[in-house]
Amino acid sequence: MIAPRAMLSKAAPLLAVAGLLGIWQVAALILNTDSFPSALDGIRAIPAILGDRGDLINILASLRRMAIGLSLAVMLAIPLGLMMGRSRAVASFFNPLLMVIYPVPKAALMPVIMLWLGVGDISKTLVIFLGVSLPIIYHSFQGAKAVEEKMLWSGAAMGMSAAQRMLRIVLPAALPEILTGCRTGLVLALITMVTSEMIARQSGAGNILFNALDMAQYDTVFAMIIIIGAMGIILDAAFERLRGRLVKWSEPRFDIPMSFA
Amino acid sequence: MNARALSSDILLGVVPIALLIALWQGIVSFGYAPVSLLPPPGLVFVRLAQQLASSGFLHEIGATLFRLFAGFSIAVVLGVGIGLAAAVNPAVNAVVRPVVRVLAPVPKVALYPALLLLLGFDHASKITLVAADALFPILLSTYFGASMVEQKLIWSAMAAGTPRRQILFKVVLPAAMPSILTGCRIGLVISCIVVFLAEMITSTDGLGHLLVAAARTFQTVDMFVPLITISLLGLILNGLLHGLRTYLLRGFAEV
Repeated sequence: MIAPRAMLSKAAPLLAVAGLLGIWQVAALILNTDSFPSALDGIRAIPAILGDRGDLINILASLRRMAIGLSLAVMLAIPLGLMMGRSRAVASFFNPLLMVIYPVPKAALMPVIMLWLGVGDISKTLVIFLGVSLPIIYHSFQGAKAVEEKMLWSGAAMGMSAAQRMLRIVLPAALPEILTGCRTGLVLALITMVTSEMIARQSGAGNILFNALDMAQYDTVFAMIIIIGAMGIILDAAFERLRGRLVKWSEPRFDIPMSFA
Repeated sequence: MNARALSSDILLGVVPIALLIALWQGIVSFGYAPVSLLPPPGLVFVRLAQQLASSGFLHEIGATLFRLFAGFSIAVVLGVGIGLAAAVNPAVNAVVRPVVRVLAPVPKVALYPALLLLLGFDHASKITLVAADALFPILLSTYFGASMVEQKLIWSAMAAGTPRRQILFKVVLPAAMPSILTGCRIGLVISCIVVFLAEMITSTDGLGHLLVAAARTFQTVDMFVPLITISLLGLILNGLLHGLRTYLLRGFAEV
């Protein structure tokens, strides 16, 4: 009796996708305007985009920038967050600065950064890096703050140095929370990638999307939306699997992080 | 925490912001960057003060705030409503959970072109985008908070004769309040970010539009003013929400 239920819960996201596409299809048929193609038209336009060499290279270049920005952010933000969590002085040093930066849309820095670094890869990667860093810092900070004091005392009593305690106690204990931050960061990276490309219209997935909008190629617009949406869902699901492997011992508190933007 | 530790915390926190502004000033004064690319901070803050006194600029802030609040309010109403419904009703839960799982990781900005085509270039498309982006953190934290409510609380309320319908508003909603407010806080920051982005992409007014208009004409001073304004707005709104939180949660042991 359990098998069909388990299968149903696995298939539920797929059913949800099918349902959403169905609603779209019906809505498009009811509205029946040129500027809102049906779901089938959108899906039909996908092979044309993915089959086009130039477009494909553009999308891959976007993903490469995203990967670089994300990895840089992970490398810098996690140590900073952990240090903030373990030292009051470091936390009160950085917290107000982060609070000031948080509500500024990172992609809005794009026009300013473009003036300094040009419209190329460097500015876009920098913007992605800035956008992704904050949630990762925040979650690492929360994770490190919640580490049990007693474990650190035992570690110190056993003669571990401060650096060793950080690496062997704080990092693993905070890992579930850090990974939640990374998952948020992953989706944010995708968002920043798209926005930075539609502000600096030069290349990339965001550029294809907004060029199609300007040229009234509505099928392409909706096909690009499906592609970008699918990227988000696939990357998120892949990361969730990775997280499941890394922190098998920790029950996920909730299967979707709350700080999605 | 005593008052002295608190004031030293504040002092320590001001340091990096002061350092950043000093570095900014330094780069300009020592001639590493031409003034046309990086205006000195003094000039930017004077310009900001000038703008804040002009009615035109206040009108732009008004337009941005209107969209921000409209979108955010829709997100709060829908998020809390759906979140509570999914937490107490298994049938709603079975539908909402997979849909949220699919929609939450979709970058909502990519939907903006579709919203433009459907709703036009006016307020409606921007408000919808803000609502769509702020919805998920609020929905998820409401759901999380409401499904963590201790069963004992509900049983005691039932034993005390509370009708089933009222349990939702008298027990579940107050117990989930801290989590809901955390979600609202995240949603608010996201609303600030999204409304600005939407205005940058297509708009004729609002702070985001000011930035784009300044960038087109290479008025670097005017480019920094909206950025600083949105940061200040975020801080102020965050402070207001924090005040609301302390008021609403005054009965809770720890916040």
